Amino acid sequence: MSIIVPPYLRQGDTVGLICPAGYMSADRTHTCISVLESWGYKVKVGKTVGHQFHYFSGTDAERLADLHDMLNDSDVHAILCARGGYGTSRIIDNINWKKFKQQPKWIIGYSDVTVLHCHLFQRLKTASLHAPMAGAFADAGGEDNFTLSLKSALSGEALKYEAPFHSFNKTGKATGPLLGGNLSLMAHLTGTISMPDTKGAILFLEDIGEYLYNIDRMLLQLDRAEKLHQLSGLILGGFTDTKDTSIPIGQNIYEIIHNRISKYDFPVAFDFPVSHTHENVALRVGMQHTLQVKNNGTTLISKP
Amino acid sequence: MRRRNFLQYLAPLGAGLLGGQDLLAGTDPAMKLGLNPPYLKPGDMLGITCPAGSIEPKDARYTEVMLAKWGFKSRVGSTVGKHWQRFAGTDLERAADFQRMIDDPMIKAIIFGRGGYGVIRMMDLINWDYFKKHPKWLVGYSDITALHCHINRNFSIPTIHARMAGGFNAVEDESEISLRNALMGKQVDYRWKAHPLNREGKATGMLVGGNLSMIYAMQASPSELDTTNKILFIEDVSEYKYTVDRMLMNLKRSDKFNNLAGLIIGGFTGTKTEGDGYFTMSMEEIILEKVKDCGFPVSFGFPGGHQSPNLAIKLGMHYTLFAGSGESNLTEITDPHPAIPLQPYLDSIPPPPADSIIQIP
Repeated sequence: MSIIVPPYLRQGDTVGLICPAGYMSADRTHTCISVLESWGYKVKVGKTVGHQFHYFSGTDAERLADLHDMLNDSDVHAILCARGGYGTSRIIDNINWKKFKQQPKWIIGYSDVTVLHCHLFQRLKTASLHAPMAGAFADAGGEDNFTLSLKSALSGEALKYEAPFHSFNKTGKATGPLLGGNLSLMAHLTGTISMPDTKGAILFLEDIGEYLYNIDRMLLQLDRAEKLHQLSGLILGGFTDTKDTSIPIGQNIYEIIHNRISKYDFPVAFDFPVSHTHENVALRVGMQHTLQVKNNGTTLISKP
Repeated sequence: MRRRNFLQYLAPLGAGLLGGQDLLAGTDPAMKLGLNPPYLKPGDMLGITCPAGSIEPKDARYTEVMLAKWGFKSRVGSTVGKHWQRFAGTDLERAADFQRMIDDPMIKAIIFGRGGYGVIRMMDLINWDYFKKHPKWLVGYSDITALHCHINRNFSIPTIHARMAGGFNAVEDESEISLRNALMGKQVDYRWKAHPLNREGKATGMLVGGNLSMIYAMQASPSELDTTNKILFIEDVSEYKYTVDRMLMNLKRSDKFNNLAGLIIGGFTGTKTEGDGYFTMSMEEIILEKVKDCGFPVSFGFPGGHQSPNLAIKLGMHYTLFAGSGESNLTEITDPHPAIPLQPYLDSIPPPPADSIIQIP
């Protein structure tokens, strides 16, 4: 399957900044805006940035309108979601993609934005960027290698990421479209039209703040929905701030994941730098990647 | 041509006369039914097993005593009192204990020890061959919803959503009495106070559902619920509002509400709020928002779920739901084919045209 790759950004291009889900204060986006400008991009700040409707960054209609404004503005070349949270799936079925199909652009974010990554791959056959958002810029100042990887990914450089060896890794080489994102959101899309066909894909997963039993259950859910059995490879990122129940599940996160996938033969890489911490590299979702899991470490390569 | 007309004409009549379930089922897939487990008689034996979390033998004692009081025998499975990590034994041990009980003709019904988490881990290890031919009542809720969904979807055999062994008390209460009534075949007829946000109306259909998180975990799997023309019951415990919203969005986006006949909301208890303060919609508003484009009745406040009372409901059986302004009402339809009452149907049939009869050689 061929994938549509939006044009990479050039100096002077414009990045639109929106909040499609949870509320974020405008203050917290300032570093992100100034760093993007220092990279040579202009920034168009959407109405949902700093706007609040209870939990959300606006009503469903307001968030949808802001996204449409960026999708339909031919002077906007990429759309960076400032924050995830929850709410993208509440508007996804109402998005009009007509203009986007004529002028594909990079849509950037992670966590709740996984909904967009999956939908863009499955319904629009278009690549998108799983990458740091405004909060990461604010926390790290935008000068660390993880936020800088977004600049490399956006400007069309070849990407090569490395991860240390883990004893639960399964060695081997895989090639295929890179899919994935947040495990809770992948579970959330199961059974909907946005859920990707994962056959032949390299899947990556990460999550934050979930109960260990729920991670086990969501992995079983993906497995029982036949989303794991034909993967070409699997990448596990950070599963941070996990919670346990009063009766402990008795396994750590590595053991839980390992037990769920040990029956499969595809290569598996743990401890990959994709997560809700600062260790979160930019990944071009939907594009062909090569994953190599060796005894001395893991590499993931993406060519533009 | 005329002969074919006549045979078509006679087919439903014959089916009605013979009580031919298969013929009728063929006319309306929604009415297709699996075998009903036999109701219990005094002296019957029930099994207690733990397919998910564990209970101690002393926790099963109340249930054993109460079952004895009701005139039943009981057998405690090997998973009661067993521990492996947070489960009542390994996945294989829990599957084996349950398998022994569904395959044992002496055991007429199974009350699960408790929910927690773990059914989804052992469910695919079960061989259902004997159960399909010789169904028995399975009793539980919460994590047990995985079994309710799987059995409804694959075998259309009714199961009971009710309090479990770990929750039985020394003195029987409303929940336990309702379970006894369900096991012994008393027709369900529940009335509960209407909620101001009820969407009024009447619905008839098969009742399915249980714990929302587990219905969600079954999506796109071989155990996924088919909700077409059905009445859906949902409850949940200790979830964030945004998580409930997200799970309901999943059901909405996978078309689970489009052809629903009715919706019953049980307890949504212990809702978590930490860091969720801005999610100000009430649980009722969250639910109604997802079904606002559908016309079916919605009844809140059914006394079932992680709460007391947790009234027993036989899932997989047909009911009439009435969501009113003063009260709601759920009544079991004891005749599984209420749309075709025999006598009035016969009376309403005009005599066949005389010439159609002569066409049969």
